[in-house]
Amino acid sequence: MLFNSLHYIFFLPAVVILYYLLANRFRWILLFLASCFFYMVFKPEYILILSAIILIDYFSGIYIEQAEGRKRKTLLIVSILSNVSLLAFFKYYNFANTLFGTLMWKLGSATPFPFMEIILPIGLSFHTFQSMSYTIEVYRGNQKAERHLGYFSVYVLFFPQMVAGPIERFASLGRQLKEDHRLTYENIVNGLRLILYGFFVKMVIADNLAPIVNEVYANVGMLNSKHILTGIFFFSLQIYADFYGYSLIAVGSARMLGIQLMDNFKTPYLAKNIHEFWQRWHISLSTWFRDYLYIPLGGSKVKVSRWMFNILVVFTVSGLWHGANKTFIIWGFLHGAIYLIEHFTSRFIKLPSFKLMNVFLVLKNFVLVSFIWVFFRSENLTKAKQIFNSLFHNTSVADNFVVDVRIWILLLLFIISDFLLFNNRADVYMSKLKTPIRWVAYALLLFCILALAGVEKQAFIYFQF
Amino acid sequence: MSIKSISIKVIALLLLLVGLNMLYKGTLWKKDLDKEADMLLELLNKQDTCDILYFGESSNCTTDSFELCKKYISELTAEYYPSLRLASVDRPAMHAGIYLSVIKNIPATAKVKTLIVTMNLRSFGANWIHSKLETPLQKSNVMYQLYPPLVNRFMLSLNCYEKKNEVERDADMKRQWANEPFHFPYPFKYQTVIEWDNGVGNGSFLNPDGSWDMLKIGLATSYIKTYGFQINTETNPRIKDFDKIVAVAKQKKLNVVFNLLAENVTYADSLVGKDLVFLMQQNKQLLIDRYTKKGALVVDNFEVVQGKDFIDQRWTTEHYKERGRREIAKNVAEELKKIYSREFVEEFKNQSD
Repeated sequence: MLFNSLHYIFFLPAVVILYYLLANRFRWILLFLASCFFYMVFKPEYILILSAIILIDYFSGIYIEQAEGRKRKTLLIVSILSNVSLLAFFKYYNFANTLFGTLMWKLGSATPFPFMEIILPIGLSFHTFQSMSYTIEVYRGNQKAERHLGYFSVYVLFFPQMVAGPIERFASLGRQLKEDHRLTYENIVNGLRLILYGFFVKMVIADNLAPIVNEVYANVGMLNSKHILTGIFFFSLQIYADFYGYSLIAVGSARMLGIQLMDNFKTPYLAKNIHEFWQRWHISLSTWFRDYLYIPLGGSKVKVSRWMFNILVVFTVSGLWHGANKTFIIWGFLHGAIYLIEHFTSRFIKLPSFKLMNVFLVLKNFVLVSFIWVFFRSENLTKAKQIFNSLFHNTSVADNFVVDVRIWILLLLFIISDFLLFNNRADVYMSKLKTPIRWVAYALLLFCILALAGVEKQAFIYFQF
Repeated sequence: MSIKSISIKVIALLLLLVGLNMLYKGTLWKKDLDKEADMLLELLNKQDTCDILYFGESSNCTTDSFELCKKYISELTAEYYPSLRLASVDRPAMHAGIYLSVIKNIPATAKVKTLIVTMNLRSFGANWIHSKLETPLQKSNVMYQLYPPLVNRFMLSLNCYEKKNEVERDADMKRQWANEPFHFPYPFKYQTVIEWDNGVGNGSFLNPDGSWDMLKIGLATSYIKTYGFQINTETNPRIKDFDKIVAVAKQKKLNVVFNLLAENVTYADSLVGKDLVFLMQQNKQLLIDRYTKKGALVVDNFEVVQGKDFIDQRWTTEHYKERGRREIAKNVAEELKKIYSREFVEEFKNQSD
């Protein structure tokens, strides 16, 4: 089920009402059924894959906790391999087969493995990572194994965040699922505020930018450089608005049930460098990679060359996590490379700290990130190359590309709101406003959502991961 | 937070929504209609200035590029009633489902009192019901609903319509062709459209050198897929739409005239044979009988246009040359005499543009 669908507008209040009507000990049943229904609207049979992940990690958790020494480690490896194998099959089988086929072709042979038409289960990367974090934490002794299969299932399936995060840890979400949450005005209103702002960001900003970006990427050879540049920057804003909007609705929906999910975004385009960007962008994934890949690799407590290697590995794997395509690998690698470059240059070049310099750094970072997004958005490297070629060579091309003035106004509104929310959250910010101003904000957001949202069919971009 | 305080906030929110709807209707609504659902905009512009509205698709507004007279069927019909204002509301690929939604928007206070609604036999078949054009039509249909404009706009952005893609629609079409058996009153060797299509498509027309005449085969199979169906009044969505049009017209005290369009029966006969013509005639009769009984006026134009007067000779359409359009207009005008006998002018202004 999509958040921006009529179904969800009825589904969420129904779940919230039933949730508070039920005694706490029965609530997991409601959340389990609601989450299954939510997921099965996409493609019912894929619930079996999720069930497999749940059962693997549920039993892994218990056995790991009981085991000692090498057996404990072996069980963890089996559990991780099982999760990764599922992910690898659905997400990377054809990609790996293509690479293998290319290699075999160079050796004068062909791949013996068939190519398969595999439809990736929605959000597989998210719930696999969430579930894996649990077994790793049990292995580390930071988390007690959950004995209640129902609660564990709801932890993996929890509908607000099951298909695109935030990737939650069991210590936080599992605990909250068991707590007896009371119906409070604050939870409902703050949840609704987050959802309201989330709908604005997703439906009004992202969905209005999507057709423009699609047009630019589809007709890049026929467009003037300045319009290609517009498309590049618009995609930056589109993917942010798309994912940020989704996350806000997820956090808001959970909040209405009394559950606090982590913030996945903190105005990332106001970051001054790549390091800061990743502290503000898709935070639940960055912290996952930090805790379960970067630190096990040695983190920063190693030689400089090894640390550089660790950084590049983490960013490249993060790229690969997004999808089985060279474009994602390059996207991740470039982030890692720039991270390192910025790290070393900052040692030698000390920039003066004043407001204008900060503005320059924010703009520099936005431009850099936007150019790297080109790899993310392009379906293959040829396309990315075409974008950059046309960007630099189509300066005299005449086209009839026009961006409606409404879009510019909405973008301005979004950028202003992003500045206002710097180191703040929409619900908290709104609650601090004086009542008349808050209601003006409600009216403005409502009007934008109801009257100005994009009308083309647009799924959340991150659903495909 | 007390119940009273919450109630005040809920009421304030409702009032805010009412205000936002008024703001939208006064500012952006017509621009959105122009972009997404311009038939309604056209209706709004014409319902208070016209006596008769002609609802049609491309059959009304398509003319041959070589013709001097470019007048539409609706314009030619209007010439018989100079004292009345007859205007058309038409868009290519429309069908009764969309006409119905638009007609529902006509207020009781409107000047218009008579509706002429195009009844296209093809639109009852799987070929049109599952056409790839259906998704954009359904999208525009959201804006025709009778909810407040702001609600319709929101439903549009939530994509509250059947969003099947071309592959899904194509699969639906083939499923219907494969699963709806024919019921001929005499033995017939094919059970379904798929079988018939395969039978005729398998080299039934040969060139003098013995090779397959692909042009004729293509046209013949196209006729089979287009007209090879028997209307099931229980399940056919167009029947439901036309039934509702009659009911809505009655409720709004509007006269309704169904203009059953001409089909190229001559070509259907020569290319496929009597069996296909039998199905076409059977369907035609069903429509005339059903809607005459329901109190609508049905103009039977089914065979009034000769094969050579169809613009598209290599495809199944209802696009007519001037002579065909004039014949249809004349028949419609004759039927309208039952409502507007005094306004009818016999002298036909045979002018060309």
